[in-house]
Amino acid sequence: MIAEKIYCKPNTVEEAINLAMNHADDFRYLAGGTDVIINKFQGNSDTNCLIDITGIETLKSVTVEGNMLRIGALVKLDDLKKYKFIIGNFPTLVVAAHAVASPMLRKTATIGGNVLCENRCIFYNQSEWWREAVGYCLKCDGDICIATGGKKACFSKFVSDTAPVLICCDAKLEVIDRNGIQHLPLESIYTGDGIKPRNLDKMALVTRLLLPMDNDYKVVFKKLRPRQSVDYSSLTTAVSINKNGRIKMALGGVDPKPVVAESQAANAREELIAYALKKSRVIDNDVYSRPYRREMIKVYLNRSFDELNIK
Amino acid sequence: MPKLLDTFLFILIMKVINLIVNGSKHQLLVEEHQMLSHVIREQIGLTGTKIGCSQGSCGACTVLANNEPVLSCITPAIRFDGASITTIEGISTNGELSGLQKKFVEKGAIQCGFCTPGMVITALDFVNKNPNPTIDDIKDAISGNVCRCTGYKKIIEAIAEYAEEKNTVKPTIKALKKEVSGAVGVPRPYFEATKKVQGIADYTDDYKLKDVLHVKFVRSLYPHARIINIDASEALAFPGVRYVATGIEIPITFGVLPLSQDEEAMAIEKTRYVGEIVAAIAADSETIASAACKMIKVEYEPIRAFLSIEESMNDIGTDEKIHDTTKFNNNIHKKAELRFGDQKQGLADADIVLKMDFEMIGINHGFTEPHASTAFWDENGLTMISSTQVTHYLHRALAKTMEVPLSRVRVIKPYLGGGFGGKSDPFAHEIIIAHIARKTGKPVKVKLTREEVFLNNHGRHPTKMTIQLGANNDGMIKVLDAKVAIDGGAYGSFGVVTSYYNGVLLQAPYKLDNFGFITHRVYTNKPQCGAMRGHGAVNTRFAVESMIDDIAHKIDMDPIEMRKKNFLEPNSLTVGQYRITSNGVKQAIETVAKQSDWVNKHGKMPKGHGFGVACGFFISGSALPIIWNELPQSVVHLKVDFDGRVLIASGANDIGQGSDTMLAIIVAEVLGISIDKIFVIAADTLITPVDLGSYSSRVTFMAGNAAKDAAENLKKEIAEAISKKKEVAIEELIFSDGRVISNDKTVDLSWDEAIEIVTAKRGAVNVSGKYISPKLGGDFKGAGAGLSPSYSFSSCVAEVNVDMETGQVKVMNIWGAHDCGKALNPLAVEGQLEGSWHMGLGQVLTEEMTYYNGLLVNNNFLDYKIPTSLDTPPIHTNIIETIDPEGPFGAKETGEGAIHAVLPAIANAVFDAVGVRITKLPIKPEDILEGIRKNKEKEKAQV
Repeated sequence: MIAEKIYCKPNTVEEAINLAMNHADDFRYLAGGTDVIINKFQGNSDTNCLIDITGIETLKSVTVEGNMLRIGALVKLDDLKKYKFIIGNFPTLVVAAHAVASPMLRKTATIGGNVLCENRCIFYNQSEWWREAVGYCLKCDGDICIATGGKKACFSKFVSDTAPVLICCDAKLEVIDRNGIQHLPLESIYTGDGIKPRNLDKMALVTRLLLPMDNDYKVVFKKLRPRQSVDYSSLTTAVSINKNGRIKMALGGVDPKPVVAESQAANAREELIAYALKKSRVIDNDVYSRPYRREMIKVYLNRSFDELNIK
Repeated sequence: MPKLLDTFLFILIMKVINLIVNGSKHQLLVEEHQMLSHVIREQIGLTGTKIGCSQGSCGACTVLANNEPVLSCITPAIRFDGASITTIEGISTNGELSGLQKKFVEKGAIQCGFCTPGMVITALDFVNKNPNPTIDDIKDAISGNVCRCTGYKKIIEAIAEYAEEKNTVKPTIKALKKEVSGAVGVPRPYFEATKKVQGIADYTDDYKLKDVLHVKFVRSLYPHARIINIDASEALAFPGVRYVATGIEIPITFGVLPLSQDEEAMAIEKTRYVGEIVAAIAADSETIASAACKMIKVEYEPIRAFLSIEESMNDIGTDEKIHDTTKFNNNIHKKAELRFGDQKQGLADADIVLKMDFEMIGINHGFTEPHASTAFWDENGLTMISSTQVTHYLHRALAKTMEVPLSRVRVIKPYLGGGFGGKSDPFAHEIIIAHIARKTGKPVKVKLTREEVFLNNHGRHPTKMTIQLGANNDGMIKVLDAKVAIDGGAYGSFGVVTSYYNGVLLQAPYKLDNFGFITHRVYTNKPQCGAMRGHGAVNTRFAVESMIDDIAHKIDMDPIEMRKKNFLEPNSLTVGQYRITSNGVKQAIETVAKQSDWVNKHGKMPKGHGFGVACGFFISGSALPIIWNELPQSVVHLKVDFDGRVLIASGANDIGQGSDTMLAIIVAEVLGISIDKIFVIAADTLITPVDLGSYSSRVTFMAGNAAKDAAENLKKEIAEAISKKKEVAIEELIFSDGRVISNDKTVDLSWDEAIEIVTAKRGAVNVSGKYISPKLGGDFKGAGAGLSPSYSFSSCVAEVNVDMETGQVKVMNIWGAHDCGKALNPLAVEGQLEGSWHMGLGQVLTEEMTYYNGLLVNNNFLDYKIPTSLDTPPIHTNIIETIDPEGPFGAKETGEGAIHAVLPAIANAVFDAVGVRITKLPIKPEDILEGIRKNKEKEKAQV
């Protein structure tokens, strides 16, 4: 029952992927680790091989190439504000990053890690003993979703706070895997399945976030949580409008994946709010009740539209 | 044999890393996935780095790695191979505190000190990178560091002042220690603050013993289940496992009250809550013990569980009771009832009678130091080092359960990381490790995880109540009736006392002629509830203060005016015959009214913005002991020897509230000497005389009085010796400013010269002092509940903003005033008040223990929501002094009473803001929105 524990710290992306291939059955990439390590303590991740990618210097830079802002996946959440291209072009991303967890965690947690943050549920993010006592839910090899009282699907929450803003700014993810480099729209990696919330290849390494700089986004970000620090999201909303008047909305905390929609219609507000309410699979797995969170979707979106002067 | 091989690998797969820690090079063999905190604490031995939550939610483990702060409890050590690490021990230089550390000490930012190392490192890094921070910046920076003691106020002040002084052009920072003369009334950091701020104060888990075994527990998976079989064979065979203990080995029950000896160290025939200890494993390491726990197979037969007050109040038919000792065919543990005057008549006579239901969920103490204990046996019997608030009760419980004479048990309390009532019972884990230490002949230690701390609970009881309050249109209260039910969980704990306190502590600060209550405490299959700051009185106080506010609103009277009309006078008797001596409630409410500009604010703010007020009342220790005997409530020993130092030996437990310093202040004041000449040794049952411990706000009053008595006895001895030698009348001698002088100045001795005289031909002088409460109270059954030689009074005004669309409440300001009689150490008193208000803020806004089928859901510092620094409003602290006739130098309690007023003040402010009356805690934004909706409907209907 006690297997060999391995910790490796590659210096290049290639090395990391090779290591991953060598330990294909049982490994986790580790960036900041603020999510992975706790899941490990709780027995939700029992991997014996940790591949610590924080030694890969090339993933720590922020550069501009053409009209693309390229943010290294290992840039720490707390450091985003230090880059003039970020604060100048995407100030709301800095606001969203600042809303993640607590100051100390933000000094370790990375932007790449945040968009890949594991989905959460009060019946899942518990110790091994606790999950045994409750009878194991779907997400940890049980038969049913306990939060919904027996459904056969997992509704663990998508909780990244930066992803909704990034999605609203049309971010792409640079991913390197066995097949080479791919650029994927960020929203496309989320499956909506709480058990396997992302569709990336297991070996895939997220290396950069790419943001188009010529769209002149105005973005409003809001986060619902009981306390002003530490807490995960009970509802995160981001709404943007670009220079062409396209409105894009991304919600976190209310579904296993970000709820994303865009519109350029005259009744965009009405349309998007209706869409958000329809698509968000809010369940009682949060400190706030389901009806309250649904009501807050309306309030937060309305306020965001107001702030953006969208009728 | 895979098992042996696994264990072999376990040891084998390690890696050598290099760390430079506080400038010293270390080459270390670490397990591949070992966390940095473990390496720092267990391998390098620097225990200043604390573990509070093991998930990065509390910040106590913060260290600098290559000059960047990291949470060492979730950081793999190998990541920092070759790095330079700075722990709290590396912040001071050659014993000289850094500027920020000095500020923490000077400003009283340190109470229990457990969060201090992480807080200092976080703040230091922050100020270095942000040399000109605003208060909001500071609040933000420390918002991931949990402090449960201070309410953050003094921490923020310390950081702000440090930053400001660092930026002043003059390189000389203002002197740390202002020379202070006199002792009582002088604001003073705790004795041990400099030790705590350097991370060198040892808490229980910091003690390192040789050849120690580590204990982990197997815990019940069911709320109520018979134990059919426990198969430990696999675990016993696991290499490194030294002992497996089960309940049958410790058959003697225990509990803090003689009336409720209902707890087994480990469940024997059945388990009564999810998480109850069923077996314990002692092994060479925690990892081995944890692994072996999973090999224990327990066969259960679940039986009907009782999870709510209603289920346990009702007849249970043919199902099995939780305890077969309860009187009737239900799970009612205790019924407490007292009635005074004629309530029926009062209800009939009152112009307006309000009947309201309230419901409060259970909450937890949330102290930052998880429980920890170490036990060993030697030729002197059992020694137990434990994080306990009451060494004396633990002493008794260990003697009882281990079946040894009291003379064979020694209990030592090291520095303690907060208690708030949560460390005042004897605990199962303490008894279990005492047993295993005896069985194995080795020292045994245990530290609970944060999840286990929550399962251990003993927190505030979930409460449901129906209250009737009647008053006349002139605002005079005519009648109060309380029908209360409290959910005690699986065991008794302090519950009998809690049952009474829910009622009796309503009989002040208002004069009541017709008053009665009935409380039922029920057993349920959940972790037990017990005493928590403001014990028993917080929830019913909330209800009554809310209802006074409601009646005042209905009769169109200012709620402060209505309260003032009803206040009891100083030197009066309550309806239940409590003797009220000093009483500063009027000054308290007037102070907060003035400071908050109440008359221009309450009822006059725009919608969504409101002000609320409330009052509180509490005991200064119980006049009657829990365990009936004729010992004094407190005894203090003093010894002075040739060196002139006065040694105070007291059984009182300093739990971070500053009681050691308080004792020194009293003794220094009586003897007229500098506090530097005093040394305190406390809470070691071998060395220190019996004190009943740190609970029910008794220490300043009772241990303080015993210390004063002892000091006066010592003074008398010294005076007699001088009188004889110098032929001067005793009455002529004055002890002041470190000298003993006669009125005519013919005698003018330094302290050392005086001590030379008193110790001549005699040697060290030992004296003793004591405190015995006077005979108090009425002559009826239950008259002793809540009797205290003195009572504290308090008042709060709160200002809130309520978002009308989200229902979110933001507390903007808290103005508080507390009558503590006399502030012996104003810095410590302020700290207690601010901590109380912060804790009340938590209960009213965010804290709750939620269960799923008896399983505690939010058992960690991420999901149990203690307000962060960003959630804590400016707190305006006022000390009211009334000089209690019987308190030491006029002092009375200050650690608990302040909490009562703040919860209803906030809820009443919500009513002022949006017209919604809060009847459930914590306040849920959902409930506020619902209230706003209903109000709108009502308005519509009226139109």
